[in-house]
Amino acid sequence: MSLYTYLLISAIIFAIGAYGIITQRSGIKILMCIELLLNSANLNLVAFSSFNGNATGQVFAIFSIAIAAAEAAIGFAILVALFRVRDTINLDNINILRW
Amino acid sequence: MAALISLMIAIPLLGAIITFLTRTREQARSIALLTSGLSLVISLILFSRFDSSISTIQFGESYPWIASLGVSLKFGLDGIGMPLVLLSNIVIPLTVLFAWGETKQANQFYGLILLELVGVLGVFTSLDFFVFYIFWEIVLIPMYFLISIWGGPRKDYSAIKFFIYTHVASLVMLLAIFSLYFNAWQVSGVPNFDMFYLLKNYSVIESPLLKDAIFLALLFGFLVKMPAVPFHTWLPDAHVEAPTAGSVILAALLLKMGGYGLFRVILPILPFSGSPGKLISLMAIIGVLSILYGTFLALAQRDLKKMVAYSSISHMGYVTLGAAALIPLSVSGAMFQQFSHGLITAVLFMSCGVIQHSAGTRIIHDLGGIAKHMPKLAFLMLAGFLASLGLPGMSGFIAEFLILVNSYFTLPTFVILALFGIVFTAGYHLWAMQRAVFGTYNEKLGHIHDGADYGIASMAILVLLIIFFGLNPNPVLTMMTTNANQLLNFVVLRGVIT
Amino acid sequence: MFSDYAALIVLLPVIAFVLTLFLGKKLPHGGAYLPIAAIAGSFIISLGTFLEIYPTDGIVQQSMPWFAGMNLGILIDPLAVVMLMMVSFVSLLIHIYAVGYMSHDPAKPRYFAETSLFTAAMLSVILSDNILQFFISWELVGLCSFLLIGFWYHKPSAAAAAKKAFLVTRVGDVMFLAGIVLLYVNMSEIITSRAFSVGPENFILQFKTMFEAIPLINPTQLTYITLLFFGGAIGKSGQFPLHGWLPDAMEGPTTVSALIHAATMVTAGVYLVARTFPMFAATPATLSAGVPDSLLIVAYVGGFTALFAATMGLVMNDIKRVLAYSTVSQLGYMMLALGTAGAVVGAQAVGISMFHLISHAFFKALLFLCAGSVIHAVGTNDIREMGGLFGKMKITGTTMFIAALALAGIGIPFINIGTAGFFSKDMIIEKAFEYGELKGDFIPYAFAIIAALLTSIYIFRLWFMAFTGKPRSERHSHESPGVMTRPLMILALFALFFGFAHLGFYDYLNKNFELMTGEKAALEGESLQMSPIIVLLPVIVGVLGLLISYAIYHRRMLDMSKLVSTQNPLYKLLLNRYYEPKIGADIIGVKLTHDVVAQSGEFVDRKIIDGLVIDNIIGNTLFKLGEFVRKLQTGVVQNYASVTILGIGLLIIILRIKFGGT
Repeated sequence: MSLYTYLLISAIIFAIGAYGIITQRSGIKILMCIELLLNSANLNLVAFSSFNGNATGQVFAIFSIAIAAAEAAIGFAILVALFRVRDTINLDNINILRW
Repeated sequence: MAALISLMIAIPLLGAIITFLTRTREQARSIALLTSGLSLVISLILFSRFDSSISTIQFGESYPWIASLGVSLKFGLDGIGMPLVLLSNIVIPLTVLFAWGETKQANQFYGLILLELVGVLGVFTSLDFFVFYIFWEIVLIPMYFLISIWGGPRKDYSAIKFFIYTHVASLVMLLAIFSLYFNAWQVSGVPNFDMFYLLKNYSVIESPLLKDAIFLALLFGFLVKMPAVPFHTWLPDAHVEAPTAGSVILAALLLKMGGYGLFRVILPILPFSGSPGKLISLMAIIGVLSILYGTFLALAQRDLKKMVAYSSISHMGYVTLGAAALIPLSVSGAMFQQFSHGLITAVLFMSCGVIQHSAGTRIIHDLGGIAKHMPKLAFLMLAGFLASLGLPGMSGFIAEFLILVNSYFTLPTFVILALFGIVFTAGYHLWAMQRAVFGTYNEKLGHIHDGADYGIASMAILVLLIIFFGLNPNPVLTMMTTNANQLLNFVVLRGVIT
Repeated sequence: MFSDYAALIVLLPVIAFVLTLFLGKKLPHGGAYLPIAAIAGSFIISLGTFLEIYPTDGIVQQSMPWFAGMNLGILIDPLAVVMLMMVSFVSLLIHIYAVGYMSHDPAKPRYFAETSLFTAAMLSVILSDNILQFFISWELVGLCSFLLIGFWYHKPSAAAAAKKAFLVTRVGDVMFLAGIVLLYVNMSEIITSRAFSVGPENFILQFKTMFEAIPLINPTQLTYITLLFFGGAIGKSGQFPLHGWLPDAMEGPTTVSALIHAATMVTAGVYLVARTFPMFAATPATLSAGVPDSLLIVAYVGGFTALFAATMGLVMNDIKRVLAYSTVSQLGYMMLALGTAGAVVGAQAVGISMFHLISHAFFKALLFLCAGSVIHAVGTNDIREMGGLFGKMKITGTTMFIAALALAGIGIPFINIGTAGFFSKDMIIEKAFEYGELKGDFIPYAFAIIAALLTSIYIFRLWFMAFTGKPRSERHSHESPGVMTRPLMILALFALFFGFAHLGFYDYLNKNFELMTGEKAALEGESLQMSPIIVLLPVIVGVLGLLISYAIYHRRMLDMSKLVSTQNPLYKLLLNRYYEPKIGADIIGVKLTHDVVAQSGEFVDRKIIDGLVIDNIIGNTLFKLGEFVRKLQTGVVQNYASVTILGIGLLIIILRIKFGGT
């Protein structure tokens, strides 16, 4: 497989994630889409790293996965807390800071 | 004994920090009085060592700061800055003394007053445009808080209005400073914020339009601060709501920054601007307009303090007029007017403060005959009012006389117009005195007391200074004239006026 | 030896002022003896200086630099020295009198401090050697007048009168200041053009420098300068149309009226014209052949005022107001003398005018002090409530009658025996006639002679109403104490006998402006041919006035009730003082300045600048802009994300198009 294929797959994943973020209203789905975005970037990093024979990209990817895990944990925690208070995770209804 | 100027600025800064940290009112006010007093002592040392016969910068200091941008901490004094430094150091300790009885959040109150001193001293001594601008902005913030915390009923409106007006003006000025800076950078290839350097390079700008734009932006920045009609409406509102100490500082020192800017920045570049003739007329028109407009508006006021505020506008108009006339003695008269007005207006605002405190109102019609119960105040207030209406023997007369007489050479019509204002100036002052202080005592006021001793003392010191400088203006006038001559040499060489 | 201490003439009363102000409360009589001693010192130095310079016709000059090319200095020439002696002497007597008059007033220290400061300022006006110092002292004099008129500041009428006095004279002062501005500009242009030089010893605004530069000043400018100076004199000396403040100034203590508003301060205007007389005389004659424009105007204003004020003096019922209008009228005579005599005998006019000024100071101070004595005794100012006082107040009555004779100018012509006013006033009237003969303009003379008749009528009306007939009210009256009557007697001696000094006085004053002879030489022959009737006429009208008053107010031979009623429009006009207070204060002061100009300014400020421009145009525009921009911020993250992605997409496309690549 050429680098091009990896990049194409990564781009598709990214597009799916972006589409999800824009269209979805559920907080969980949006968080999952964010994970998709991150993973598409990870895929790119790993692919470049492998083709360039340089391990830096792999290291970055591992960092990124660790941070994504932390971020997801916080994100879901917020959503759970929100659900307890508002009985919904539909982000359209969470607008108290909006004008 | 170098570094006197930075010491003079550092002491009140340190004092302000300590004052903020103090717990009790006694500590706060003693430290405020002590540090501002120390600063006064240093300024007196500077004043006594100052050589009035030379126009160059004295006591210069320079420390590197942000080398990559060409910013350095440069301080120094000449005949333009020295009198105002002295004025600031006279007014602030006396204000602290006057406000000796402040109880509300005293540590912050005195701390903010000291910060004001730091700000104005910085403005009057900085020779680096960047640092100048920083101090210029530093002055705004304590004043905003003085109005918005210790102010009257409409304090929020007034504080915001004050802030927006002066801040917008500062930003316009900042744009002009940057454009001077980048212009000089382009010419020499080296970044440098030195004030004289930037002003000198103003003449290199090719486009007359850009020159005029820079000039007008700087002028706007200073005129709003002075304030000149029609950019003045923030002043009466700010004064009406500000606490007395705030008003005194605002009128006696902050307004002077605008006038200082005229002499420090505007006059040196005026002859090199795109259309000097038109700009001179513009300044003269604004000056006379301020004089007359301020006078008539003062006549219409019912609130004593608002009346005094409008009288400030009128008096600062003389500064603009004197500067615009471009005659050495008219310019030194304008500088002297700044100094003298600082002393006089402090007395006037203190009088308003004492009346407000004792009688509970400043509305002229609600007062009446208060001289009966407040003889000391009445005496000092009368002295202040007479000084303000330009009575000979007091400092205001010297300034106005020099301005009127010498401006006649270049701006005869404007001088004649300004002369008309004098009668009405006397009119509103005397009318207010007659209604508020003399006449039968208004029994509705109940039993009122004379001002507190410390307040009366600080007013008395100011009145004595007003009379001293009215009889012997030379100690400050000589250095002003030296520098005005040097400024105007320049102008005459350029053929702006003959 | 005295002349070396000339500065003390001013400084002694200044020191007394400071000491009395702060220590007066602790001293007996409110510290009155300090100013009295100080002014006595001033008088002694003045007298000593006079005796020193009189034999040699010398002058005293001292000068030191002040600020910006101006100077402070002393110039004692004949003109100044006679004024110095008069002012310090009259001031001294009035201070002594005031010890008795003010004895019941709790604010004595303030009174004596202020009168002392006044005396200092007035003396400083007189011996200034430059016009700026003159102006400064002049303003300080005005300040003291303001303070003293408002001495009983708790009285609303006194506070209002003080304000009026300051403001009306301020109108004049601004003109004076404008004159100084114009003079300075002209002088400095002359100096810059090197036609004239000033050294370290002569300063730009010094009188001697000014006079030397007269020929170099543009004549039209000179007319403007002198007329502006005269504007100042009009304000200070209460000439038409700025006369209204002086009668109101009677709200102050009577001693103040005597000192300031009769004898000294109000004469400062006349002194100003006299002091700068060479400039007035040098103005070009464009209005009337052979008469310098400025002198012509001075003569007309003075003459008109003399008559105009006398008409109001006829109907006033307040004893002090009658005297106040009389003062205005007499000051008009002094101006008239400067104008008319100036046109015919040049600088000798100064002597003629000053002689009347000084004799007037004596008898008018006397009149006021007598009035004060009466008021002190009766407790009212209204002459309708007095009557028959002569029996109880012999000294006051006699001295006041002497003063009235002096004011009316009664004496015996040809053998030259008479009161002070006889010599001084008749000389003025004669010179006005001479002016008429020579210049073909008898209007000033008409003013002068009619005013002389009215003067005599109103002053004897006052005397007869107050001192003769039956008491018209139940008031208890008594003669004043010795400290008050003795100054009266001294002044009465001067009012009677000062006139005999006239020839020596004229001679001495003529030396003042020796550089100026005017047309004197050419006119000496003609001036002798005055017909006896002209010489007699002033005395005739004086006696006539006395007889008319005697007939009406003493013998009650005429029933005046028809004339003296508000039904009579003329009487009403006079009683309302030609509606001058109404026009000046109500219409110009309140209606026009305050209600129209100032209030419309306030409207512009609050509604247009603040309301329309700041709030509506700038404020609302920014606010609406903010509202609009705020709508863009939906707060929905997805919207932002879509916009971001769209933006990035666009950016990529643009970059691709611009830079190409695979």
